[in-house]
Amino acid sequence: MSAADIKAAKTHGKRNGRGLVGLLLVAVPVGLLAWLIIFPIFNALWRTMVVDGHLALDTYAFFFTDAYSLKNLWLTLWVTAVCAALLMAICLPIALYLRFAKSRVASIVQGLTLFPLFVPSVILAYALIRTIGPNGAVDILLVNMGLPKIHSPYLTPMGPIIGLVWDNIPLTVLLLVAGLGAVSDNAVDAARDAGAGKLAVFHHVILPQIGNSILVVLSFTVLGIFSAFTFPYVLGPASPEMMGPFMQRTFSQVLDTRMAMTQAVVTFAICAVFGAFYVRSIARGQKERR
Amino acid sequence: MQKKFDWLGVLIAAALALVIVLPLLVVAIWAFTEVWRYPSLLPQQWGTRFWGQTLARADVWEAIWLSIRLSLTVTLLSAVICLPAAYAFARMNFPGKNIFFLSFLASHAFPKFGLLVAIAGIFLGLGLVSNFWGVVLIQLVGTLMMMIWIPVAAFQNIDRRMEEAARDAGAGPLRVFLQISLPQAAPTIFAALLLTFVGTFYETEGAWLIGAPQIRTMPVLMITFINNQIVVQYGAVLSVLLWIPSFVALLFARRLVGSSSFARGFGV
Repeated sequence: MSAADIKAAKTHGKRNGRGLVGLLLVAVPVGLLAWLIIFPIFNALWRTMVVDGHLALDTYAFFFTDAYSLKNLWLTLWVTAVCAALLMAICLPIALYLRFAKSRVASIVQGLTLFPLFVPSVILAYALIRTIGPNGAVDILLVNMGLPKIHSPYLTPMGPIIGLVWDNIPLTVLLLVAGLGAVSDNAVDAARDAGAGKLAVFHHVILPQIGNSILVVLSFTVLGIFSAFTFPYVLGPASPEMMGPFMQRTFSQVLDTRMAMTQAVVTFAICAVFGAFYVRSIARGQKERR
Repeated sequence: MQKKFDWLGVLIAAALALVIVLPLLVVAIWAFTEVWRYPSLLPQQWGTRFWGQTLARADVWEAIWLSIRLSLTVTLLSAVICLPAAYAFARMNFPGKNIFFLSFLASHAFPKFGLLVAIAGIFLGLGLVSNFWGVVLIQLVGTLMMMIWIPVAAFQNIDRRMEEAARDAGAGPLRVFLQISLPQAAPTIFAALLLTFVGTFYETEGAWLIGAPQIRTMPVLMITFINNQIVVQYGAVLSVLLWIPSFVALLFARRLVGSSSFARGFGV
């Protein structure tokens, strides 16, 4: 919102006394948000930590001593870290290319990077099984070229990693390109004129200006992948399993609601740093635009 | 000016085309395959026999209708709840406005499936698990952010001078809104509605956790097809069918998605 907008809204609001109308108009979505986002988090904390009015941390003690739970948590952390690193390695060069390219090919690259946004994850999961699964398209191509069969990543931790990276390419590139928008052509040209090579320009001119975008991307990736469900469930190993399928199984098959909520609280706690960073970044961005 | 051939761009485009298009092409081929024996490069027999078989399944039709009903209900409810709120955020001043607005964006700051489990724990006590309205509620929450921040941008971009001119010419507030403000915001709001419908149509995690086993939407049915691996072509045909709404969204919403305002909604 621009300063003029806010000023206009303020005088308008005062003149007509529309503050109450505004509050009424936002009441239902805000109420929904409070009931279905804020309340469940506190409810989960309360139900997992308090039994009959007394502090009870038994489910947490079980989680952090149970080898299987810890293996699942470790796998999730590992998959998240690998995905974040891969996404950055793949998307940062594409975003840099899109920011500075002036040719017609750039619009094709942009179209291709955005395309996965329009492919639902279940369809992609199925497509990946037919492509990288046993006897899938990649196998067929390799055999026809006289090369040995691949060890299929399907049902190994690499399965969800491939799916999650594929799925997260568009948003990562979009956010990085938006961040790169703040880097002025003049600054880059000036550095180049002063004799800086491409790497030096990236390191000294571009990187300091897109640090915030990179952190937002990382937060977003961690939050999204840490509790991903569809890809780990369909493409990942049955044991150990990532936190998403683990929580689902504990809730729906083992029917242990309190334990499932404990697992959820553990994911909240681990992602809290990234969540807090994400919120801070949004708030700062909103303030700067005002 | 730069006249060099864009080798780097061509290289990136080729790599992306291979990685992004190949899996989808494989599914499209399977949907029109009757016999494809390994390791033949292409199917031995093409045909549409499995389309008939897939479309003759009662569970497929039930899932299609359920998904459409669910997505329409959620989109409609979301529009009724969110559009007035978006207007208020864009054009009115009230106490707590900035905090409330930020809280919608901040709803993305939690790991989604963990949050769903926490909500499911509450829904279990309310009898909303394995229930149509339970799934509607869970999907409604997922749409709030999109249906608020895209229309807010649309309402903010309305040309105030045209509104003032209409008011000076004697038009009442409702008429100004309906004839001047709304038509200007309409294309963006339509894109938000479309993205909400499509997003809900493909929503899998909430539908699976809250709805299963009674509520089987298209994506949930697709997961059971994948898990049971009955006939490869069933999944392939369902994938092609399932992709139609997304294709429509692709045609209409690409420009919005490519714009900087889309990225801005995520805090960059």
